[in-house]
Amino acid sequence: MIRPDPRRDETRKRAPGYFSYPVFAWSLIIGLALGLAVTRMHGPLQRSNAEPWQLRADERHHFAIAIALEHQHRGDMGRTLNKLIALRPAQHPLDALAEAACALGSSGYLGSDSGIKALRGAVALYSADGRSGCAEQLLPLRATDSAPKPAVDSAADAGFATPLPTKPPLRDSQGGASSRRLVPTPAAQRSFEARAARSFCDAANPALIEVHVLDYLGRGIPGQRIRVRWGDQADIFLSGLKVDRGPSYADFQMEEGVDYAIDMPGAADPLSASLSTGACYTGNRSTLKSWRVTFVET
Amino acid sequence: MRRFLTSLILGLLLGALAGLYFGWIQFPPANRNSAISDLAQRHRDDYTVMIAAGFAVDRDAAGALERLGKLDVDDIYAYLRGATERIIRSSARDFDDIRLLVRLAHDLGQLTPAMQPFLELDGGDP
Repeated sequence: MIRPDPRRDETRKRAPGYFSYPVFAWSLIIGLALGLAVTRMHGPLQRSNAEPWQLRADERHHFAIAIALEHQHRGDMGRTLNKLIALRPAQHPLDALAEAACALGSSGYLGSDSGIKALRGAVALYSADGRSGCAEQLLPLRATDSAPKPAVDSAADAGFATPLPTKPPLRDSQGGASSRRLVPTPAAQRSFEARAARSFCDAANPALIEVHVLDYLGRGIPGQRIRVRWGDQADIFLSGLKVDRGPSYADFQMEEGVDYAIDMPGAADPLSASLSTGACYTGNRSTLKSWRVTFVET
Repeated sequence: MRRFLTSLILGLLLGALAGLYFGWIQFPPANRNSAISDLAQRHRDDYTVMIAAGFAVDRDAAGALERLGKLDVDDIYAYLRGATERIIRSSARDFDDIRLLVRLAHDLGQLTPAMQPFLELDGGDP
C-alpha cells in the first residue's frame, strides 16, 4: 500500500486557484476610494447643467446685477427676492446684492457707463430696503446717464413695505437724490386668504406669530407684505427675509395682554379672530403661547 | 504572485469604476465653481431675459452685449436670434419675456420673421 505524501495532500487542500478574495476585497475598497477622490477633485462631469447657486463668486455677482437690472424693468420685489434667494446667499439676499455691487464696483466694473448704470440700479434696489454697501461710495457722485428712471415717489413711503430700515442710504450725505426712494411698480396683485391660525406652545419661540405665505401649489412666496395691528399701532413685514426658515416664513413678536389683528394689506382680509398670547405648558415648563398663521393664494 | 496581482488589479479596476460612477453619476459633487456659461439652459434663458429687461430700461446696447458675452458663445448675435426663436417656438417663457427679447434683438439688428409679430404687438418699429 502506498501512503500518500502528507505534504502533497496539504498543498492540494490549500490550492489557491487564481483569485485571492482578501486581496480583491481590499483593492476594491482602495479603488472605490480612489475613484471617489478623483470625482471630488475633478468636480462634476457635466458642467453645462449648473444651477445659479453653483456659480463661483465673481459670476454670482454678475448674475445678481442682472437680477437688479431686471428689477428696474419689472419692479416685482417678490420675483427679485426669489431670484436672489436662488443664489443661496449666506446672508440676506439684498445684503448679498450689496456685496456683489461692492465687489464689482471695486474691480473695474465702473469703467464703463453701462457698469455705472447697472450698479446704480442695484444700489437703488437695496437702499430702498434700508441696506447699504460700499458701492454707493464707489459710484460717481452725479448721475450722468440719461436712462429713464424707475418710478419714484416720496409720498408713497408709507405704503411701501420697507421693513424697519436700519440705517439711511450712504448717499444721503451727498445731496442729490437723498430724499427719493425707489417705489417698485407693483406686479399683478395677488390675493390671499388666511386658511389656518393655530396656537402652539414652544419654549424656544414664545409669544411669536409665525406667518407662512403660500401660493396655490403650496410653495412659499417671499416678499409678501404682512401687517400686524394692535391698538393704534401697526407694523408691516415681509415674508422670506429669514432665509434659513424658507421663502414663506415671517414672524412677529407679541407682548402679553395685547390683541393683534393680522392681514396682508390689499391682498388678504384680516384674520377673523384677534391673536393674543398667554401662559401655556410644554413638558413641565411654562411659557407663552405662539400662533402659526398661513395665508394661501386664492 | 500571479494570484495576488490578478486580484489586486481586478479589485482596483472595479473599485475605481464604482467610485467614478457613485461620484459622478449617482452623487455628483455640489460644485460651486461654475461660470454663467455653465448654467442649465433654462437659467441661461433666464439670464438672457434679465439682460433684455435691463436693456428695456437703459437702452444700453453695449452693456447688454457685454453682459450677454458672459454666456461665452461664439457669436452673441446668433445666440440671441437662436434663443429668441427657440423660446417663441417652444412657448417656454411668457409673452412679456418674449417681447423683451424681441425688442433687444430688433435694436441689435437681429430681427427675424419669426419675431416680427411680437414686435408689431409691441408697437412696431419705433
